[in-house]
Amino acid sequence: MNKYLAVFKINWENALVYRLNFSLWRVRSVLQLLLVYFIWFSVFQSQQRIFGYDQSSILTYILIAALVRAIVLSSRVMDVANVINEGSVANFFLKPISFIGYYFIRDLSDKLLNISFVIFELALILFLLKPSILIQKNLSILALFLLAVFLGLFLFFIISFIVGLMSFWVENSWGLFFLMYIFLETFGGGIFPIDILPSPYSQIFLIAPFPYLLYFPAKIYLGTLAVPELVKGFFILSFWIIVLYFLMVKLYRAGIRQYSAVGH
Amino acid sequence: MVNQVIKVKNLRKYYKVHQKEPGLIGSIKSFFSRKYYDVKAVENVSFTIDEGELIGFIGPNGAGKTTTLKVLSGLLYPTSGDVSVLGYEPFKRQSEFQKQFSLVMGQKNQLWWDLPPWESFILNKEIYEIPEEQFKKTVEELSRMLEITDILKIQVRKLSLGQRMKAELVAALLHNPKVLFLDEPTIGLDVLAQKKMRDFIKEYNLKFNATIILTSHYMGDVRELCNRVIIIDKGQILYDGLLDDIVQKFAPYKVIKADLEKEVDEKKLSGVGEVKEYRDLQVIIHVPKDEASKKAAKLLGKFPVADLTIEDPPIEDIIRTVFSKGMDI
Repeated sequence: MNKYLAVFKINWENALVYRLNFSLWRVRSVLQLLLVYFIWFSVFQSQQRIFGYDQSSILTYILIAALVRAIVLSSRVMDVANVINEGSVANFFLKPISFIGYYFIRDLSDKLLNISFVIFELALILFLLKPSILIQKNLSILALFLLAVFLGLFLFFIISFIVGLMSFWVENSWGLFFLMYIFLETFGGGIFPIDILPSPYSQIFLIAPFPYLLYFPAKIYLGTLAVPELVKGFFILSFWIIVLYFLMVKLYRAGIRQYSAVGH
Repeated sequence: MVNQVIKVKNLRKYYKVHQKEPGLIGSIKSFFSRKYYDVKAVENVSFTIDEGELIGFIGPNGAGKTTTLKVLSGLLYPTSGDVSVLGYEPFKRQSEFQKQFSLVMGQKNQLWWDLPPWESFILNKEIYEIPEEQFKKTVEELSRMLEITDILKIQVRKLSLGQRMKAELVAALLHNPKVLFLDEPTIGLDVLAQKKMRDFIKEYNLKFNATIILTSHYMGDVRELCNRVIIIDKGQILYDGLLDDIVQKFAPYKVIKADLEKEVDEKKLSGVGEVKEYRDLQVIIHVPKDEASKKAAKLLGKFPVADLTIEDPPIEDIIRTVFSKGMDI
């Protein structure tokens, strides 16, 4: 068995120890989804079309964004800040295993667990609420959707790892995480699609990395993006992944240097 | 020829720390401009350690013991000086090096808190790429030596401190490290668990010819385990040599213990030497080292003595003298 496979396995075992904790976490995400769902549902009681969306496309957007959320977002990397602060990061400098690789695998492991639950939850919601949603049958659109989700997953890992690495310099990086989550919730597109904002704003936000975590993949699924928009989107997404990846590696090296000079 | 496993030459490690004046004003000042100053954690330390040696690092808090161990394990870069462990420069953190040593810190843990130790062992097995056969054999052997075979499948959080420390030790030793750094391995343990831990360290050292450096606040650990000690204070080595020699060289006095047959005046006893205790017909007197036999004879001649012994002072007292006075080697 490979060492990273072993990390994957022990992470699952650990997550399943606390059944109550885990179930509550799932309940939380279902409630969050239902809240957003019903807000949009009631908005469409009086109108047929808002911001260029009809009821079925917005509800599809919300449900798909929830699925993407389970795959792209995760909270495991928040541990990085803790591990650095309390000094147990030393374990990674003593053993033949990569700190970044270790957390990436734990992240993937969490995601797989989350996905299996989210699919079940979404199926339950579809069965109970019977919303009219759009089933995307175009295979090339579905393929692009999966690609965007996959890239988004990398992007989120890199962003949150960078925030975690800040703990090498600031003693409490909780504020930074908080800030990141505000940006994420507002501009990520989990609550509303970014393009309902007036054009100059939505265009500016679309240059930032956050819309590519939830908004971009969900929007691809709806099938309303034209080819130039798709190209531009994938370009910006790849740009951020590459730039932030190098930033992460640089910060990581600098962090180790800082740690090795000062210790904890 | 004996293999020199650890070589340290002129090691220095300085930290930059910032200073804050007291109070809110001080906090605001230090927010805008910080004054930094160097803390000399290790100042020009040199020593070599041979394969299979079990060395004790002794020194008060902040003496530089843990810093030295961290430099030897590659956690910290040296500010200057040469450090070589098993022929590697530790801070390069090569995996061939990492697979051959282990650092155990009494106050840090690596076991997964919510899972049984066994799961953490398996993870370490994969991380260190230990062959299945060797892994099974090692776990079995180490858990038998430490008497924790029956707790390997119980959640770590439910174990006692002693059991947990033992499991931590097993986790750190699974890859059969040739070099072992133990930082306060018995901290917080009860007397019985301390004894078990010591026996284990001794046995491990002999059985695997492992090179071990141990730091401890408990002189008991050091006295029982180490022939050679390195005494370190304020980042400098005060003494490097056999533990027995410290007693020979630096015990400033001898201790005479005598049982008396009947009550005598304490003032008269103090003519012999410094009376430390006098109770229930038993007297403890400190006398200058080179006059011990003369003073004992005087005591025997002048007082009704039933029994008498001459001993070296306790090692703790000698070490304390060393720290308070310093010494030239």
